[in-house]
Amino acid sequence: MADDDKGTNQRMDDADEALALRAQAGDRQAFAQLVRRHQERVFRFVLRMLGSREEAMDLTQETFLKAYRALPGWRPEARFATWLFQIARNATLDQLRRRQLVEFVPLDADAPGEAACEPHDAAPLPEERLADRQRIGLLERALGALPAGQREILLLRELEDMSYAEIAATLGVNEGTVKSRLARARAAALAHYRHHAGESPDDRSA
Amino acid sequence: MTDPHEVHASDSDLSAYLDAELDAAARCRVENHLAACPRCAARLADFRHLAAEFARLPRESLGCDLAGVIAGRLAEEARPRPRVHASGWRGLLPLGFGAAASVALGIAMGAVLFGGGAALPRMAAMSVFDPIPPGGLCPGLDACYARGADMTGAFK
Ligand SMILES: [Zn+2]
Repeated sequence: MADDDKGTNQRMDDADEALALRAQAGDRQAFAQLVRRHQERVFRFVLRMLGSREEAMDLTQETFLKAYRALPGWRPEARFATWLFQIARNATLDQLRRRQLVEFVPLDADAPGEAACEPHDAAPLPEERLADRQRIGLLERALGALPAGQREILLLRELEDMSYAEIAATLGVNEGTVKSRLARARAAALAHYRHHAGESPDDRSA
Repeated sequence: MTDPHEVHASDSDLSAYLDAELDAAARCRVENHLAACPRCAARLADFRHLAAEFARLPRESLGCDLAGVIAGRLAEEARPRPRVHASGWRGLLPLGFGAAASVALGIAMGAVLFGGGAALPRMAAMSVFDPIPPGGLCPGLDACYARGADMTGAFK
């Protein structure tokens, strides 16, 4: 990662820490700021885990409510963003258990090429965009076919761009486990991807 | 070291190599092997391709600000309120409207909390039935419930 990014991340962490300390002391404006800074990230992760916008919206709220209640136990040694993702992740897994969901429900099983949550658009799409949407649908289905444990680690790495140390802290495992679990998740995603695409994502033969 | 063609790089080493998470010695070992082994190079290319596909996923967005909603719900929990309001309005709403209603209520109460006003709980509760969020704190409310455009009408 570039030094610039590290600097930016550090500044964001420092700002989070200052806000979280103020929120701990009872400053609700500070907590509102934390919500605003993190709500999109939490929502994105939860949505990709659950597949339903409405459920994701509720669970994002739940995450912040739980975070608020747990705030007295937060310590500045823990990165606020990581701590928050632990809460979001646990809430998400609880929700999946509550649903008794063994298999992920695809966002729209009958229309794999459709982007999630968008109303069906009957107008013909330019060929390039159609191809894009089909590829996105393929990846979403591959992701959806994975067990939750593999899906979450892929999302944390590929979408949230977390380091292995951050993923380890979020999942409560060591970095060696992150390394092997992520590799298995990638291998499984590729296998599903090929299965649905009927071909390798690149042009390599078997 | 043994002939690079005899022992392939493991998926976990290739995957960690892609993520720049290997220490210098392991990275060097993998790089040397990759230079000599098309099969492992192709596997790495697959992992890289998968990462590129993820980068193309659309960035889903909330479309609104939850800060007010959450402030409202925290206030709802913290404050002892007259029972009438606690159970009354929720019971009036058809099933499935709970989430949308709590968004609207949260916006109302968030406006109270973060806006510094001293509005009465009754006012906040009543504004649930107003489809236009007070203070316009959540201009993207419709976006949050895109399929519920018909639902907002039911609040009237
Ligand atoms: Zn090899």
